[in-house]
Amino acid sequence: MPEIARTDTPPTATGTAPPALRVEREGAHLAGLIWTLVRTDFKTRYHGTIGGFLWALLKPVTMFFVLYAVFSFVFASNPAYKLNLIIGLFLYEFFSEATKTGLLSLRAKGFLLTKARFPKWVLVVSSASNAVITLTLFSVALIVVLLVQGHPLRFATVGLFVWYQLQYLAIVTGFSLAASVLFMRFRDLNQIWEVVTHAGFFIAPIIYPLDILPERLHLYLYLWPPTPIMMFSRAVLVDGAVPSLAAHVYLAVEALVVLGVGALIYRTASPRIAEYV
Amino acid sequence: MTLIEVRDVSKRFRIPSVRRDTVREHVLDLFRPHPSETLQVLDRVTFELERGETLGLMGRNGGGKSTLLKVITGIYPPDGGAIVRRAGITPILELGVGWNPDLDAIDNIYLLGCVMGLSLAELRGATDEILAFAGLERFANLELRHYSSGMAARLAYAVAFRAVREVLILDEIFAVGDAEFRERCQTRYRELRAAGHTLLLVSHEPRTIAAFCDRALLLEGGRIVMDDDAEAVADAYVRLLTEGGGAAPAGGGPH
Repeated sequence: MPEIARTDTPPTATGTAPPALRVEREGAHLAGLIWTLVRTDFKTRYHGTIGGFLWALLKPVTMFFVLYAVFSFVFASNPAYKLNLIIGLFLYEFFSEATKTGLLSLRAKGFLLTKARFPKWVLVVSSASNAVITLTLFSVALIVVLLVQGHPLRFATVGLFVWYQLQYLAIVTGFSLAASVLFMRFRDLNQIWEVVTHAGFFIAPIIYPLDILPERLHLYLYLWPPTPIMMFSRAVLVDGAVPSLAAHVYLAVEALVVLGVGALIYRTASPRIAEYV
Repeated sequence: MTLIEVRDVSKRFRIPSVRRDTVREHVLDLFRPHPSETLQVLDRVTFELERGETLGLMGRNGGGKSTLLKVITGIYPPDGGAIVRRAGITPILELGVGWNPDLDAIDNIYLLGCVMGLSLAELRGATDEILAFAGLERFANLELRHYSSGMAARLAYAVAFRAVREVLILDEIFAVGDAEFRERCQTRYRELRAAGHTLLLVSHEPRTIAAFCDRALLLEGGRIVMDDDAEAVADAYVRLLTEGGGAAPAGGGPH
């Protein structure tokens, strides 16, 4: 059983510490580790500056303007197209970015895997932090813009939007747990996933409204996790409509299944990951 | 009190004749035979480490020492046998490599320190001390990509020495840095020993084992062939090298 307490002089036996104290120490240690990983990831990615962070936002923003310029003519009859496009783009950018860093997380931090025994799932879970920060800031900005434009937002609809994002995070975490350990064995998994996410950009109704496709295809499109998240988020924020109870149950089950299967694969494969570093 | 019990621990690695690391290779070679060789790196290793004891571990390259340390620490799972750990372990293994090159020394200290079990509060208070131990105060804000391998190793040892829990496992600890840094490491080692820490030290240097350990094990071909007084084991190791030839025995091997 790993323990957290250590002393310079004199050493104390781990087993002698009261269990409650041990749990508290381990919780504090875990929180410190997660905070350090999030902080150093942010620093590495954005050179520790807000300017660097804003620079990284240029990609989805530029993408928005290009797509808007091209497709607003095609879908000119849809007055909510602009809002739906930007919501779809940012939600997909989150999915693409968070799953990519999640997949790479264990290998990217491989230098830590052989140094000590510690809960390695922390490396996977914390890898989505930068994408979560971006998504949070985008969500806040979006809600502010909607309020300024006079959209009838209620606490309940904003609450549902947050609930969808939490389930999105569960899906991303489940995928990352499985993909990160498999990537230690299969080193081209990142290239395969990149192809899948490129194709998935067109499977999800980002640049086109879902209504233009026959209804019998909708069920298949909803199997791709970003689709229900996008559609439900647009419904509550843009249309002011709440999806049905069955739709909510479907999304919750999908999130639970992806998280559960991911955790199971991680639990099975993770004990030997240090052997693949 | 016994802090670590190693009972009949075995570890083997499968070494394929053709390595397949990608999905593409697995799919294309699906119907081709996958011959592989099994390397038995540890073979029913059994020993105990008592509280306050300093135990040396000797053996030729490829004898299974590093694998045994990783199995004891919990980094590798054993294939057979059991390990009972009744105390926290701080390993100092492969510390010369593996940093985030884009971060400076202070951030890397936080990263490695947290992984080794230090809390943020402890790290805030210990950063200056760690840099001073490593002799790198002037380079605290320098990204690790600009460090020499010796500087990086010194920093890693300084973090690990600050993070010491009850049991400390050291792999070739006194082979890093210049004479002054080695002396500092040896002083710290003696302090920890005097304070009652339990220590497991791996070295190829017979004088080091004889001087710093009470008892020692000799690992040969993945098995413990001698468990005795440190000086006796150091002598046996020298005899093994001079009389038994320099090649590693079959069965052992680094992963």
